Amino acid sequence: MLKGAVSDQPSAVSKTAADLRARKRRKDRVANLAAYVVLGVIALIMLYPFYWTLITSLEPTGNIYEAKLLPSGVSLKNYVEVLTGTTVPFWRLILNSLIICTAGVTLTVTLAALAAYPLAKMRFPGRDLIFYSILVLMVLPNEAGLIVNYITTIKLGLLQQTNPVLDAVRQYAAVVLPGIASIVGLFLLRQAYLGVPIELIEAARIDGAKELTIWRRIMLPLALPTIVAFGILEFVAYWNSFLWARIMLPDKNLMPLSAGLLELSGTFSTNSRAVMAGAVITVLPILVIFAFGQRYFMKGIEGAVKG
Amino acid sequence: MTTTQRRESRRAQHARGGRGARVTVRNTLIAYAFMLPFLALLVLYHTWPVLFGTYLAFTKYNIISPPEWVGLENFRTLAADSQFWSGLKNSLKYILVVPVIQILAIAVAMLVNRPLRGIGFFRTAYYVPVVTSFAVVGLIWTWMYQQDGPVNAVLGALGLHGGGSLLNNPLTALYAVMFVTLWKGIGYYMVLYLAGLQAIGRELEEAAVIDGATRWQVFLNVTLPGLRPTILVCSLLSTISAIKVFEEIYVMTQGGPAGSTYTALFYTYSRAFVDFQYGLAAAAGLLIAVISILFGLINFKLTRGGKADA
Repeated sequence: MLKGAVSDQPSAVSKTAADLRARKRRKDRVANLAAYVVLGVIALIMLYPFYWTLITSLEPTGNIYEAKLLPSGVSLKNYVEVLTGTTVPFWRLILNSLIICTAGVTLTVTLAALAAYPLAKMRFPGRDLIFYSILVLMVLPNEAGLIVNYITTIKLGLLQQTNPVLDAVRQYAAVVLPGIASIVGLFLLRQAYLGVPIELIEAARIDGAKELTIWRRIMLPLALPTIVAFGILEFVAYWNSFLWARIMLPDKNLMPLSAGLLELSGTFSTNSRAVMAGAVITVLPILVIFAFGQRYFMKGIEGAVKG
Repeated sequence: MTTTQRRESRRAQHARGGRGARVTVRNTLIAYAFMLPFLALLVLYHTWPVLFGTYLAFTKYNIISPPEWVGLENFRTLAADSQFWSGLKNSLKYILVVPVIQILAIAVAMLVNRPLRGIGFFRTAYYVPVVTSFAVVGLIWTWMYQQDGPVNAVLGALGLHGGGSLLNNPLTALYAVMFVTLWKGIGYYMVLYLAGLQAIGRELEEAAVIDGATRWQVFLNVTLPGLRPTILVCSLLSTISAIKVFEEIYVMTQGGPAGSTYTALFYTYSRAFVDFQYGLAAAAGLLIAVISILFGLINFKLTRGGKADA
């Protein structure tokens, strides 16, 4: 029918249709161009501060805070200075951050992955009570958290100073422990487990598999995407946290990178360029992780809000 | 009983009892063993602070000697402390950032929801500030705001400003810090709104266009109602974090100049970790918690009120 209609008045119809299409295309092109301009301006506002910090950190001398598009000169002098020339060597802060992140991420993910399993796939008295108590806890405001956790840390003796090795272990623990029980992580993983078919677990149980085996061999592999997403989320959180460590740690040598950077900007106020180099070093790993894990990361964020 | 029979009966049991293995003492112990490490830390670092913090609010405490019950004295002290009030005032002023950040985030989300080439780059770019530590972000903007820095260069070019750092001026410091909160936070809300937009789907919007709706009508009658649940969550999150703003202030201004960026949580922090008055600090914390609950409720009412209108 349509074919017939077209062949009746071929030129008129096709001309208007072509016209309309062309006009729509033109309109789209203008709209897209406008969209790109706006997108570009926003991207500039979002990224220029980072770019500016990077190029300024590369300059050996010159008018430091000036707005610029290119560095007036390039040298690694400031990087050498920040890595070696301070009372607390920067490489030590990097090491601290790596230790804190590794321990923090491993423990947080493991504990949440363990605790979520019975809540999703086992039957036992008190399950709903525990589940809803945790929910309530998430909503309850905890403004005294910093204060009481500080008191707890002292009472647990984690800030005692007796011998260097023990001190380090205790202080790392003091930084990591308060963040390990992640309610968001528990919910994310429970959600992921709920999607695992119960037949799979039942078959394993009937075949005599222990719950720990089921958890390790069935639940963990099937929840892997969520685990990776949550792991990245936690890595970024541990890497970026500074307040708790700064409030609590008596030993500046054990501070993580972000906390140490602020220390540096206090003691190094005469050489902001070196601090800028430090800032670049601090941001870089996060950007790399983010670039590679972006898909998982976004999934984690969305899951964290929905879950 | 043959193996098959046993298997059948187990199956039936599972079917009756819903998911999970049979409830036995052994299975219950196993379940709790799985949860034990998590629950122990949860109680120690989440439940205990809420309980002990509330108790501390009614005591005098300096860690060295045991807490001494003083009733409402801490709250009377707070009520008489002009510093606390000005901190609270600044915290409430900070809520100004909420509508701005939400409106911009929705706009940006709609912009990056277009099927354009290279849109992934822009989404990622807008998210970079979100994944950066406040320690770094705060320092970068402190430098950017310097008297002869880029911000003043731009403002000067627009004929708006030529003077010192916005962070050193009591009239502008709070707004300068707010801008950083906005800049850092917008990508976070953008992602949430983007998820909301994609949940709405294009079909409804396209149907409306076919019915002859204008762009603005589609936005008001299809997109916005579809985003309402997201708007509720986002503005709730953003209101509560505005009242509790701390990290950007800690890094950039330390409450100055002349107390112009001194917020309620900064007051709590100073009482605890500068003056070691833990009871008073806990009382201030409790008040801030109550206030943020109140604002959460108001926010909830407002967003639901909008629903009734539409």
